[in-house]
Amino acid sequence: MDALKRFIDLFADPRLFFLTTVVALILIVWKRETFSSDRWGWGLMGFLALFFGFGLFDENFQLIIAKPDNVPIVALIFLLVFFTWFSMREAVRNDRRVSAGESPIEKDEADRVWTWPDLVYTELIAMVVCTVVLIVWSIVLEAPLEQPANNANTPNPSKAPWYFLGLQEMLVYFDPWLAGVVLPSLIIVGLMAIPYIDKNPKGNGYYTFNERSAEVTIFLFGFVVLWSSLIILGTFLRGPNWNFFGPFEYWDIHKLEALTNVQLSEYIWVRWLGMALPENWFIREIFGILLTIGYIAVLPVLLVKKGLTRYYEKLGPTRYYVTVLLFLSMLSLPVKMLTRWLFNLKYIVSIPEYFFNI
Amino acid sequence: MADKRSVGHAYNIDFLNVVFAASSLFVLFTTVWMVWDDYDREWKNYQRQFTALEMEVTRAGLAQVEQGVDQTRVAELAAQQETAEQQLATNGEQINALEEQLAEINRQLFIATQAFNFTKAEYDVDRYSFEVRREDAHAETQGDEVHEVDGEEAVNAQYDQWVAEGLQVERLTAERDQLRAQIGVFTAEVDEISGELTSLTGESERLQEVVAGLQPNLINDYLLNAPLLDFMAPSLTVRQVITPNIVDDVNFITVPKMDRCHTCHLAIDRVGYEDYPQPFRTHPNLETYVGSASPHSLETTGCTVCHEGMGQSITFTDAAHSPATVEQVDDWEERYGWEESHLWDYPMLPSGMAEASCAKCHQGEVFVPEADNLNLAYGMYERAGCYACHKTIGFEDLRKPGPNLSKVASKLDEAWVSNWIRDPRSIKPSTWMPRVWYNSNTDTEEYAVRNEVEIDAVVAYLFANSSEHEPEIRFPGRGNAENGQRIVESVGCLGCHITGDEGREVAGPRRTFGQPLQGVGSKVSYQWLFDWVRNPRHYSADTYMPDLRLDDFEVADVATYLSTLTGGDGTSAAATYQAADVDEVLLNYMRAVVPYEEAQAAIAEMNPDERQLDLGRRAISRYGCYSCHEIAGFEDIQPIGTELSQEGSKLLAQFDFAFVHDIPHTKRDWIDQKLRDPRVYDRGRILQPLEKLRMPDFGFSEVEARLLTTAVLSFQRDVQPKVSQVSRSARKDAIIDGRNLVRRRNCVACHEIEGDGGDFRVLVEDPSLAPPLLTPEGAKVKPDWLYAFLRGPITIRPWLEVRMPTFGLNDDHWNDVLSYFAAISDTVGPFRTHETRAAAATTRTGEELFDLLRCQQCHVLDTIPDDQDVGNLAPDLRMASERLQPDWILDWLIRPLDIQPGTRMPTFWTEYPGSFYPQFDQDADAQIESIRDYLLTFSGGPSPVQGN
Repeated sequence: MDALKRFIDLFADPRLFFLTTVVALILIVWKRETFSSDRWGWGLMGFLALFFGFGLFDENFQLIIAKPDNVPIVALIFLLVFFTWFSMREAVRNDRRVSAGESPIEKDEADRVWTWPDLVYTELIAMVVCTVVLIVWSIVLEAPLEQPANNANTPNPSKAPWYFLGLQEMLVYFDPWLAGVVLPSLIIVGLMAIPYIDKNPKGNGYYTFNERSAEVTIFLFGFVVLWSSLIILGTFLRGPNWNFFGPFEYWDIHKLEALTNVQLSEYIWVRWLGMALPENWFIREIFGILLTIGYIAVLPVLLVKKGLTRYYEKLGPTRYYVTVLLFLSMLSLPVKMLTRWLFNLKYIVSIPEYFFNI
Repeated sequence: MADKRSVGHAYNIDFLNVVFAASSLFVLFTTVWMVWDDYDREWKNYQRQFTALEMEVTRAGLAQVEQGVDQTRVAELAAQQETAEQQLATNGEQINALEEQLAEINRQLFIATQAFNFTKAEYDVDRYSFEVRREDAHAETQGDEVHEVDGEEAVNAQYDQWVAEGLQVERLTAERDQLRAQIGVFTAEVDEISGELTSLTGESERLQEVVAGLQPNLINDYLLNAPLLDFMAPSLTVRQVITPNIVDDVNFITVPKMDRCHTCHLAIDRVGYEDYPQPFRTHPNLETYVGSASPHSLETTGCTVCHEGMGQSITFTDAAHSPATVEQVDDWEERYGWEESHLWDYPMLPSGMAEASCAKCHQGEVFVPEADNLNLAYGMYERAGCYACHKTIGFEDLRKPGPNLSKVASKLDEAWVSNWIRDPRSIKPSTWMPRVWYNSNTDTEEYAVRNEVEIDAVVAYLFANSSEHEPEIRFPGRGNAENGQRIVESVGCLGCHITGDEGREVAGPRRTFGQPLQGVGSKVSYQWLFDWVRNPRHYSADTYMPDLRLDDFEVADVATYLSTLTGGDGTSAAATYQAADVDEVLLNYMRAVVPYEEAQAAIAEMNPDERQLDLGRRAISRYGCYSCHEIAGFEDIQPIGTELSQEGSKLLAQFDFAFVHDIPHTKRDWIDQKLRDPRVYDRGRILQPLEKLRMPDFGFSEVEARLLTTAVLSFQRDVQPKVSQVSRSARKDAIIDGRNLVRRRNCVACHEIEGDGGDFRVLVEDPSLAPPLLTPEGAKVKPDWLYAFLRGPITIRPWLEVRMPTFGLNDDHWNDVLSYFAAISDTVGPFRTHETRAAAATTRTGEELFDLLRCQQCHVLDTIPDDQDVGNLAPDLRMASERLQPDWILDWLIRPLDIQPGTRMPTFWTEYPGSFYPQFDQDADAQIESIRDYLLTFSGGPSPVQGN
């Protein structure tokens, strides 16, 4: 048992964790026929239940999952897995029917039902069940109060509310103004822009994967991998000093990680060109600035020529550029993660003179 | 599937009905559960249990009271009452008539009073309205134009009516009282008898009522406390005190404390529950704490300012109870499901440690009266010299606790010193000198070479920097060891020194004030001992060792005796080393401050001796030897330890437990563990030599560590507001300074002052031959005499063997002592008028009484009475006029036992203010004054004033 725990702890590394989620996503999309079977669905739920049930017997893991703050997150993991599986199952079913020349299930169902009992009665039941859950929850779990706040004593680790833990994870890779201001704004603006960008009527009102494969995959990548999995990572695997801990590992405040990060300018000037860093910040950071401009301005243009020509034609220049910019901003997180993990790269552009870093 | 256009059902309605029914049942069930969960509280059970206990205790009290009542007298009175009532019945008609009249008058009085009150109310309203109207009219007035406002007459008329009605009320009241008096004439006898009955049985009746009130009662105990009904007036309630002047610091604001401890500790302020188990036990010291007449009453002080913990919480664990022992942990876990609470930064102090909180309000006092544990702990804190390395408010400007090492070469030899510092306790088990090397993080075999290199280097440095010392007498002759032992054991040396193998913990901080004399004969030469005992200041100018005024023959006897106290040689070197090892260690030290090349070059320039001395200097600097000892070359260097002035307020998160997981992670356990093994937090770590912890090991016992933990926890930041502090005055300051002084000069080792100290007294068989109690000293002796005596003590009781030493204090300190004694006796000041009747007649009566009472039987008057046991002897009365306050002599003659408990001075006026003796018409005051006046005529006794 201990060997198994140690193995799981060993496996819990931000790189491996991220890689696993990406691979899992690819497998889910690729092998969706298999994934959407009932056996897989209930199997996954059973596995999760087993994992957390088993984890409750571990002293360290218990501290994390039984903490009243984290209990809802555990519940949300079940919901996330269930609904990902469920939507995939419905999509696969519909895709099968469509390829067999039938219409999707939803089109065959009656599109009008009675207000009473179908709507109001179910709402009433939902209310009653919600009340029961809330009462039981408030009796069984005590409010997660802590000692009086003290400006001389910052909690370690200091964690954001669970729904912001994905954003907090971004702070590891980005300067606060990007991770805390620019990217969250882009997420909100981007979500608001979707109806104006995506006018494709396919998939309205019914589950499908084949008809919207790119959109569904991008959504799953953005929501499940970049958002939800980072929340899970932040909740369960980040410990004191924001260090990474396996789920069964003791949160030792003294644990150290060797983190010596290097700026892009240092790589280019010192290592490749073999000269000292230029005094002037603009010359020093010129490569990073060019790279950034290339990423957000030149790359979309190049993609028009090759790769996304069909999209450009379909969307028109404005919608195309907005879409690609949003997509590239989303991709900047995994890009930053990869460069950090592979090259210890801290910032692409680093101008501490003006508190500006990318 | 239904037709696309038709209206269908999305769900199976029958199934929904089942779901709805089930969920409704669940909601009912969870609501009941919620109500029960809210209702079922730990504290309510304690209150229920306490009601039963209270009944038991009250019944026991009732039984006792009833036993004490004189039953025959009660029966007698009851019989008398019956007779009197029969008597009364014979006058029934008259009384009935009077009572009818009284009822009529009462009716009229009621109506008249009501009318009177109504009129007054109307008058007040009308007067106010009129005043406002007139004021408004005047405000509108422009220039000289004046508005007349009507209505003043009506208001005045109303006043007259009110006065008239008042007269009517007064008349009726007088009539009523008259009638009552008439009735009273008949009932007087009955009233008198029942009054006496009540005074006999009142207490038992009161207790009977209490017991009746405690009986289970349907409405009070069940209905009002029932779930959902208990919002109205439950008898089970949370009890709390809010203390406006005692606050909690919740970091961004301070809020008055709200302590609810007595919700469960229900008998905390009630006498009679001393022997019941917690939470129902009475506070052990109601006179000082909690009791409503105590200076720290429950209402003003609350609980948690002293005990810490979360006062607002009413569950056992959340209140942050702290166990004192491992057994208590097990017990609590089983009984209360206890675990260390992390919701409150300041958990309760375990029992026995609450005195750590005294300093919160008794700021700047250091020694707090009645806080015996804390004072003992502070004594240890000073003895161990904690303050020397760790700066601590309240302990600044004290002398260095260790001996002066600037002349060490003339006192000791190098081999002894290195054995000594290798492990001091192997030579003197009771020493406060800690072990610096070979501690838990440096006692490996590989580390021994480095230890030895450092030890030898430190010793070499000390001896190379030692200055010359020339003894006053070069070749002293030997004395008689037996005689020396008698002197050491009787004159008072043992007040500050121990010669035997008493442990440090047994001897306590006062009797280890001076070096333990264990093995002193093996440590220093006879010549040095002679020189030191003869005049300690000759060797060490700032020593606290006083002069016992021994003559040179006595000094020789003492020194001879001390040199027979031989002991072990300690621990010898555990490893040998080469010159290269010294270089390596030195290089390691230098690398911490200079680059490698530079360090190498510097070492190359030195010869081997210089290298060792340089290393010695660096090692002394690293281990902070100079913090406790005077060492040449380290005169102005800051001590090495962390400041502890606010250590008690430090948060748990700031304590590093490293890999020590076998102790509870609490602040007190961290400190306790640190004291018992100062290097423990290096356990399991890989550290370079200069990174290792360096606090030396004092070998503290469990008890010592606990006391010192209490001391450290008492050092807190100021949170409590000024109003809660002990108010300051010149008198209070004198007391504070004095308390510090008598402890820091160890006066309390021999003398008991303010109920504390006097450790030496237990070594003297007959208490009357021990050093005197000094609490009444300020009222007793004249300041001039006391000042002269302290500077140059004289022999007051020649039959005592113990002596008052000569302390070389400066005038500042002597004045502090005088002010202190004056302050504790609450005397007005040094100058006082004394009405003495030096008339010849009274003095003669005084003499008569003096002979009658046979004062001279015990008191010396030039010659010591030879037929008395030495324990009965009393001071020479010829000193009285110069020494004693005349007022005090009167007090002393009246009540000697109150002033000095245990004194052999008889109380002659047991009937005071009456008297057995016929003089002055048996007027005790006049008799006592005449004796006093007679005493004051004596002169020519020993005097410290001459020559001082």
